[in-house]
Amino acid sequence: MRKSRIYKLILLIMLFTFNANAQNVRFSASVNKNNITDKDVLIYTINIEGVSDFPNVSPPESPDFVLISGPSQSSSIQIINGQMTASKTISWQIAPTRTGQLTIKPISIKYRGKTYTTDLVTVNVTSASSGQQKPSTPPSGATRPAPGASTDSRREEVFLKATVPQQTVYKGQELVVTFDLYYRNVRTFGRKKLPDARGFWIEEFPAPSQPTITNETINGVPYRKATIQQIALFATTTGELTIDPMVIDCEVVQPSQRRRSIFDDFFEDSFFNDPFFSGTKVVTIESAPLKIQVKPLPEKGKPSAFNGAVGSFKIESSIDNPQVKQDQALTLRYKISGNGNINALKLTPLILPNSVEVFEPKIDKIINKSGGTIGGSVTYEYVLIPRRPGQLTIPALQFAYFDPQTEAYRTLTTRSFNLKIDVDESARSDRSVGLSKTEISLLGQDIRFIMRENTGWRKLNHTVFSEIWFWLLNGISLSILLGAVGLRWWTDKLQSNLAFARRRQAWPRWQTRLRSMQTMLVEAKEEEFFTQLDQAIIGYIADRLVLPIAGLGPREIEQALNQCGIEAELLQKVLSLLKRLNEIRFLPGLAADAEPRTLLTESREIINNLSKVI
Amino acid sequence: MKLIRELILILILIASLWGRTDSELNQLFEQGNAAYQAENYTEAIRLYEDIIAYGYDSGPLYLNLGNAYYRTSQIGLAILSYERAARRMPNDPNVDFNLQLANLSVRDRIEAPPAFFLLRWYRAFVDLLSASGWAIIFSILLLIAITSFAVWLNFDLRHLRRLLRAIFVICGVLSLLTALMLFQKYHLETADDQGITISRTVSSLAAPQPGSTELFIIHEGTKVRILDSDGNWFKIELIDGKQGWVSTADVAKI
Repeated sequence: MRKSRIYKLILLIMLFTFNANAQNVRFSASVNKNNITDKDVLIYTINIEGVSDFPNVSPPESPDFVLISGPSQSSSIQIINGQMTASKTISWQIAPTRTGQLTIKPISIKYRGKTYTTDLVTVNVTSASSGQQKPSTPPSGATRPAPGASTDSRREEVFLKATVPQQTVYKGQELVVTFDLYYRNVRTFGRKKLPDARGFWIEEFPAPSQPTITNETINGVPYRKATIQQIALFATTTGELTIDPMVIDCEVVQPSQRRRSIFDDFFEDSFFNDPFFSGTKVVTIESAPLKIQVKPLPEKGKPSAFNGAVGSFKIESSIDNPQVKQDQALTLRYKISGNGNINALKLTPLILPNSVEVFEPKIDKIINKSGGTIGGSVTYEYVLIPRRPGQLTIPALQFAYFDPQTEAYRTLTTRSFNLKIDVDESARSDRSVGLSKTEISLLGQDIRFIMRENTGWRKLNHTVFSEIWFWLLNGISLSILLGAVGLRWWTDKLQSNLAFARRRQAWPRWQTRLRSMQTMLVEAKEEEFFTQLDQAIIGYIADRLVLPIAGLGPREIEQALNQCGIEAELLQKVLSLLKRLNEIRFLPGLAADAEPRTLLTESREIINNLSKVI
Repeated sequence: MKLIRELILILILIASLWGRTDSELNQLFEQGNAAYQAENYTEAIRLYEDIIAYGYDSGPLYLNLGNAYYRTSQIGLAILSYERAARRMPNDPNVDFNLQLANLSVRDRIEAPPAFFLLRWYRAFVDLLSASGWAIIFSILLLIAITSFAVWLNFDLRHLRRLLRAIFVICGVLSLLTALMLFQKYHLETADDQGITISRTVSSLAAPQPGSTELFIIHEGTKVRILDSDGNWFKIELIDGKQGWVSTADVAKI
């Protein structure tokens, strides 16, 4: 009685577990190849998992295929950690009846009131005579044979697929590209070329030592999928950017070329697909290039403290020694940490009072690649030396970043520090090195205030030599100098050079004598008139030719006038005039019939003519 | 009559135009001062720079601009402005003091080789006045010398002749000396071979090519002499005689 109760209990538990497993029924259909020729035979397999009592499955129905053999069945039951899993594989060998894109209809089964349906399987059948080299369409647009690689990599059933979570990103936003290897029978692979992306800053995630392998069925063909590489990209420019393909070498297991025989079935077993039994072949494959649209960061609401950080960050500030003495160094540290474009992080420059000496900051960058995203921290370490005792305020610093998740800018503000700087008398002497005495006296002083009053505007490029007054003043000086020297020269010439003076005075003197002679004529002083006329003519000639008046007779005058080279006629006239005047003067009888007026006009004419020559 | 009235009208027009630009500049200057007093130094810098962009400057303007740069910790530009102010207002105690103070913040302490004392005195003497100051003195001395010479030459003033000659000789010699000072000072004021480094750190290269050997590094605010230029490069000399090539963006001419 007691025993039977225990049995019942065990049975009940078993039933419960079975029921639990029954929830995970998986029912799938697959073919061993997608691309076959019309002479090939296809193996169509139905896989049922999670069911212990397998229902009946009818063979695939398709007018395009004929059943060659089957069904061949295999089943397995595993109990792991008390969990029982059962699976059953049913396969048929079928052959196509025509070429083209053929489909095998889904198969449905009913199990405990529920209907399970397999996927539709599409098979591409080409004519055997036209060859197998017909380019095949990749299952879902992921692979293309690398140039120079084996053209039938398709048949090796291996391809590399690059996926991105989104096609458009902001400039500086992290974009993780995942490279998945889909394969059926690959032993090893080696990276040949990492993807190159111009316009991106690339961070490579460490490749897992043991990639996790999952099963995935693409277009009815079961593949194994392994994530072999992940990279994070941060766009540094905007526009449409291209991620170049990644190239890998795969060692693909090749089933040995055997003639089709009755043992085929037997050797189709996965055990015999072991590389131990067959050769391998190296195939180079590459992923398709990806086009990424990079948007610029929005201008709207961009804070002034923004320096290009994109992601999510936080900032901390710390100071190592709040009780610092004058001329002692203290360290001010700003640490920005978070996820995003760590490499592009920049802090706005520190603005401190002039009493503090600031050294160039030491910048430490730590990039953390774990957790499927690029993160890390940037530490700015400033060494400050306060040079003046008293209160020192280190102002709050602002750091802004763009959060692509919320598509908004965020500004973080650090705390400000108020420090009390103590006087340190002993350190004073150090500071004076390299400074002169007057400079030391300037330490701790502040600049003088601005000038409120302007002294007048001046044009740029204006110099003294573009001032009018300068040239005016110096022009006056120059003209005074020229005038004074000229005046002096004139008076000197008159005074120092007698000959010049006589020649210059000859004409005016002749004129004055003429006037006095005219008055003599009016007063009828005839004797005096003739003497005066004679003297005037001789005087004029003597003045012009610069001859001494004393002892100047008609002979000397003739000689002198001849030397001047005057016309003989004029000379004759002058001489006859002088001769007549002499006769009138010394023979008073002649004076009576002499016409003083005609004589005067005559002599005036002669002098006029003479003045043109000498 | 009509002509004269038109002429006066035109003169008034020209004067009013002149006055308007002047008052505009004064307004900018006062706004800049107000911004400075409100501790809005970047605004003050903008307003002061606006005046310079109009094509005008003055000593007080450069002093105030230098102060604003000093307050925003732009030591190189502050020193540049003070040096420009010192050119326009020689021996102004405020300018000299602020320049000295700003120079304390310069990282480079280059020891100049000591100059011969006579040369030093001579330089100090030349710096006593601005070029226009020397020009005024020169012109007046020349006028006195020439006038006394003219009188001495042409008028026979017996008892004054010796005095006039003495005045002429003394003023003539002095005017020649002041002419020398004037040209020296003019050269100093318009010299474009003086520069101030305005970038934080400037590496001086051996040749005017990016990537050539770095000879030495100078910091913001250091005074240099510009010896030569080649494209975007200046050949500079420090006061201790070191020479090298720097980018023109890093050095501003005074």
